[in-house]
Amino acid sequence: MIHVLSANITSPLGFTTEENYQAVLSGCSALKRYEGLWGLPEPFAASLFTEEQKAALAIEGYTFFEALAIRSIRKALTYTSLGNDISRIVLILSTTKGSIEALGEERYYPSKAAQRIAEAIGLNTKPIVVCNACVSGLSAQLLANHLLSEGIYDYAIIVGAEVQSKFIVSGFQSLKAVSEEPCRPFDIERNGLNPGEGAATIVFARTNSEESWCLTDGATRNDAYHLVSPSPQGEGLTAAIEAAMKGRDKTKLATVCVHGTATLYNDQMESKAIERAGLSDIPLSALKGYYGHTMGAAGVLETILTMRATDDGLVLPSKGFTELGISGKVSISGKPQSTNKTAFLKIMSGFGGCNVAAMYEKTTDCGIQTTDKAKLVKSHTIKLSSEDGTSLTDIYKQQIGNYPKFYKMDILSRLAFVATELLLKNGQWSMVNGQWSVILFNHSSSIVADRQFLDTIKDAENFFPSPSVFVYTLPNITTGEIAIRHHLCGETSFYILHEKDETLMQQILEATLSATKARNVISGWIDAESDTDFECDLSMYNKISNE
Amino acid sequence: MEQLIKDLKLQIKNALNLEELSLEEFDENAPLFGDEGIGLDSIDILEIIVLLEKEYGIRLANPKEGKAIFQSVKTIAEYVQANRKK
Repeated sequence: MIHVLSANITSPLGFTTEENYQAVLSGCSALKRYEGLWGLPEPFAASLFTEEQKAALAIEGYTFFEALAIRSIRKALTYTSLGNDISRIVLILSTTKGSIEALGEERYYPSKAAQRIAEAIGLNTKPIVVCNACVSGLSAQLLANHLLSEGIYDYAIIVGAEVQSKFIVSGFQSLKAVSEEPCRPFDIERNGLNPGEGAATIVFARTNSEESWCLTDGATRNDAYHLVSPSPQGEGLTAAIEAAMKGRDKTKLATVCVHGTATLYNDQMESKAIERAGLSDIPLSALKGYYGHTMGAAGVLETILTMRATDDGLVLPSKGFTELGISGKVSISGKPQSTNKTAFLKIMSGFGGCNVAAMYEKTTDCGIQTTDKAKLVKSHTIKLSSEDGTSLTDIYKQQIGNYPKFYKMDILSRLAFVATELLLKNGQWSMVNGQWSVILFNHSSSIVADRQFLDTIKDAENFFPSPSVFVYTLPNITTGEIAIRHHLCGETSFYILHEKDETLMQQILEATLSATKARNVISGWIDAESDTDFECDLSMYNKISNE
Repeated sequence: MEQLIKDLKLQIKNALNLEELSLEEFDENAPLFGDEGIGLDSIDILEIIVLLEKEYGIRLANPKEGKAIFQSVKTIAEYVQANRKK
């Protein structure tokens, strides 16, 4: 359990949490229809900063993405004091595409952005980038929970940020996932999501002397079903909710703040999972009708807004919803509802098959809850390097074969796939669903797929954004490929670091494993530039016990 | 028609990275989806939609329209022949 010290939302609806909350209360939405923006041939609705807002948020010498994150963090820090020992504060950045417009420059790298943001706010610890597609904002908070509960840091600054671009919007359009009208979560007329931009920050502490909102528990589970389509029965999300709610009284919940992207499949799946988890009677809040899908920021932004509304005794209306269009039994409304409860559940699902549920409760319980430290044993390791002179495709042909999907994968997924196959060949494993996790790290994010996708959209005369390439511009897709191949339904996470820092990787791994019921984890470093230029150091760890 | 089917097979194989599928064994009547046939999935449909626009100038906005069209290479070829702009 960790405590919320302060927070900020910086969005097209306002630059403080209060401005945002008041705008939402009065029914405002930042969603607008855009036609011809960025030279895109198809119209779309989105929540974007105006030129005036951009000018007000810009900071000289920083990309707009970096400036947005810095502004949000600085606002959040004005409401609190974190003490003088900056070595006890970690920055966790949640984003899907960061400064993608700087592709080709050093500033492209999300780990570089995180470093520059950390320096700008005066930190000297090594920042961590969480890149788990749409669930990143919740993943970042769960990571903070693990790291603080283990006592590795005293404070965590979580910032989720996303800036929209031709890159992201054309990609989602190629997947036929974007609506040109304001989105309608859970509604019968829903026909897609709206991209949104913004930043949101939560400052967490290990301990707090006053009553505060707390992240009490959370869980991540993979569907092991498909890279972009959620499991129709909501397998992973149901499992994540059940794990996060374990031992907790559901009648205490004011609301379940859903993902509610307004795509046909997401909302349908979520309704199934909510019913299966026994939460049909809990009022839902779907907030994408106000902000669109702010991607890396969404998990942080929607959590903050739900805390604020719950403080006010309200369940926010799900803007855009009028008539039920899902088959799972849920309780959702386009009108505000009052509540006297002080706990809620936040859920999200994303590409790569990952699902996260997190429990929040307002409490005066000020003690530090520490988890028992997990003892990890490294049982097998596979190191692959292009220095050995064999191409990845040759390794696949010679030692693996019989998985035609290999050729559909981007280079990063191919590397992860090949290494995992070799790793699992070397041991006798009993695969038990929910007991296996995949946690990968790298430096270069999905840079090769990013370049390939950019090639499909940069020429207006030859503008054919490729859906199958776009999917791989999320590095956590690699973890999804492994989960699908071996039916691994535990946690899947992808972290981007500035360098292969074994101490930090071990800390993240141990903290995560201590807090979860996973017994086995495949984890390590993975970076690939091409079929003949790659580096991979992947190991199998077994958790012996919590001591 | 025969040439169109041949072209489509090659274009689909390349666009979808069906590396291990030989063009000789690629039956134009085989179902493209499901375990019985070629085994394509939803992302592959979207990629074929891009291919049809790129190569034949056919715009298919709603993938749901595609169900009947994307049954086999043969059905795609018939649709292309009737609707192609280039």
